[in-house]
Amino acid sequence: MKTVERARALAWAAGFFPLLGPITADELLDLVRLEFGHAEILDGFRPYASGFSRVFPNDPILHVISGNTPHAGLQSLIRGLLLGAGNFVKLPSSGLREIEDFIKLLPPALAEKVATNPDLPEQWLRESRTCVVFGSDATIAHFRKVLPAEIQFEPHPHRISLGIVFDDLDGTSPELGAADVARFNQKGCLSPHDIYVAGDARSYAARLADALVQLERKDPRGDVTPHEAAEIADIRANYRFRSANDPRVALWESQDSTAWTVIYEQDSWFASSCLNRTVFVKPLPSDLASALGPALTWVAAVGIWPVTPENAERAAQLQPSRICPLGRMQNPPISWHQEGRQTLAPLARWVDFEPNLR
Amino acid sequence: MSNSVTSSGSVDIQLLEERVSRFIRFGEGSFEELILAAHAFQRAWCGSYGTYCSNFETPKRWHDIPAIPVAAFRHTAIRSFPVAETVRFFRTSGTTGEGYGEHHFRTLELYRSAALGGWRNAGLPTANLFCLMPSPEESPNSSLSCMGGWLASKERFFLGRWDRLVRAISCEEKPALLFGTALAFLDLFEWLGHRELRLPAGSLAVETGGYKGTNRSLPKPELYVSFEKHLGIGADEIWNEYGMTELSSQFYSRGLANPHRGGAWVRALVIDPESGKECGDGGTGVLRIFDLANLGSCCALQTRDLAIRRGSEFELIGRDPAALPRGCSRAVDDILRQ
Repeated sequence: MKTVERARALAWAAGFFPLLGPITADELLDLVRLEFGHAEILDGFRPYASGFSRVFPNDPILHVISGNTPHAGLQSLIRGLLLGAGNFVKLPSSGLREIEDFIKLLPPALAEKVATNPDLPEQWLRESRTCVVFGSDATIAHFRKVLPAEIQFEPHPHRISLGIVFDDLDGTSPELGAADVARFNQKGCLSPHDIYVAGDARSYAARLADALVQLERKDPRGDVTPHEAAEIADIRANYRFRSANDPRVALWESQDSTAWTVIYEQDSWFASSCLNRTVFVKPLPSDLASALGPALTWVAAVGIWPVTPENAERAAQLQPSRICPLGRMQNPPISWHQEGRQTLAPLARWVDFEPNLR
Repeated sequence: MSNSVTSSGSVDIQLLEERVSRFIRFGEGSFEELILAAHAFQRAWCGSYGTYCSNFETPKRWHDIPAIPVAAFRHTAIRSFPVAETVRFFRTSGTTGEGYGEHHFRTLELYRSAALGGWRNAGLPTANLFCLMPSPEESPNSSLSCMGGWLASKERFFLGRWDRLVRAISCEEKPALLFGTALAFLDLFEWLGHRELRLPAGSLAVETGGYKGTNRSLPKPELYVSFEKHLGIGADEIWNEYGMTELSSQFYSRGLANPHRGGAWVRALVIDPESGKECGDGGTGVLRIFDLANLGSCCALQTRDLAIRRGSEFELIGRDPAALPRGCSRAVDDILRQ
């Protein structure tokens, strides 16, 4: 299959997965062009500098997919298939339905390039030339240790994200922030833990709580495990006690359930959420990078409002890999520089051809 | 009224201390009557707790006493007596990055009565103890070491001095009791390696505490297998002590999957975290503890530990961060560990 055929087949299959957002064949071809200079460079030599070059996938590619993040797993597989690579997909022990369903939608020429397994066959470790790992620090450290040194290693560690509301003059941003908090019940590295607000952050927190009330009616969070509910109950109990004694803290919470929680805290120091629609609202400090402390290293996405070049420049000081409109934090385009680097190029090898022009 | 406690407050607390002490030691009086009186006192004399309680109606049953989260000890002084009357404080072992809390005492007598009474109620012997924890002299702000100091003399503390422990136990003919943190036992087992420390027949172990603030952990069944392997003590001869710095009383369970129980002066409710109401029998929720011996601070404590209700007792599940699916969202411990 030529690159354009693969791009069409992948875009068609991706269309059945709303969690991926819209992906068109043109976008996929554009991604190849942006990373390698030519959309057809995977199909044969193309002009490059004073000669010619072509690109081969550095395959087989081993994708180690973590549980409950099908979005990241699907994107990784799409990248591998777009390159025309052979792919080994190590699924979580409980499997991952989205990956299996996606493969069924592919034409045979692409489907045969994917093997899945909830275990990790020894043969896969021996044969793979590139390994993409999504997971905790412990998972990444494990694979770094067991993989042969010559394998290209692409780790995707766990990260955090946040929102910044520079101005809420039109009053729409609480609804957008609530959408980001609710999507996937915050279980993603693109989910905001905290929303920093310029101006009256406390009143913003109250409006965010109202938006979460409305959202819960349309899109209920659903059940969580006792461990998860206990974490939410614990964080609520702490802030309920603190809010009784400290006017710099306030709590809004769903009644008779743990469905959503908004915590206002005047202290701008970054707070890590227990997730499942639990979000902190804090005043935007003059030096947000300092307020993020050690979390700064791990920032993936910053959702901003309003979306202006000036605000993007301000958010860029944090050097996240992605700045996007609030309300769209969970919809990264396929061209997103995940981890702040190219996503196709590390999975490929260049072959240069220097013709004898004399 | 927060910190301006007058001498009348001291008189009140002395009278209550005496009544609570007699209840713990001799069973005189009624738990409900005493804990409601203690609550009324704490509501009046502990400023931050009193302010918190103003959002609640005055309780008529012990079940309805507003509980404070254990984390409150980190943010504020939970003290129901004048600061000048403090004789001792114990420091909590904080989870990574959370900081430390303090539990202040006007007298250690209630803690002592509750700790020793609970130990006796569980049927545990007080002779031939070997403590796997720092001695009270080495760790004066540890409530566990303080308790150990009431049970054993200072030469019976062996944390990290495993060769000395082995020599001391080798001389024993009578059954021994090893009392320590799960982490200390793990250290000992690692030090022993493939060796086994043979204990006299009838020996017991009491393990306590989790692995808070460390990167180490071991499921309880696996930990108990290590006891058998390294000390020859079967699961039925191992007791778990459930307590915390913020409490004065402890609960005990024997072996695996048996419920924890405490003395008559301390009770636990298993609360459904979704509804905030008590779970039915067999239901899983978070533990809320009512400890009469916590007279100088706050008797009602909301823990973050999960448990299954077994009648008036509970089967401890604890808190397991690994059981929290976070997708690819980074946890605070992972942020701070860098």
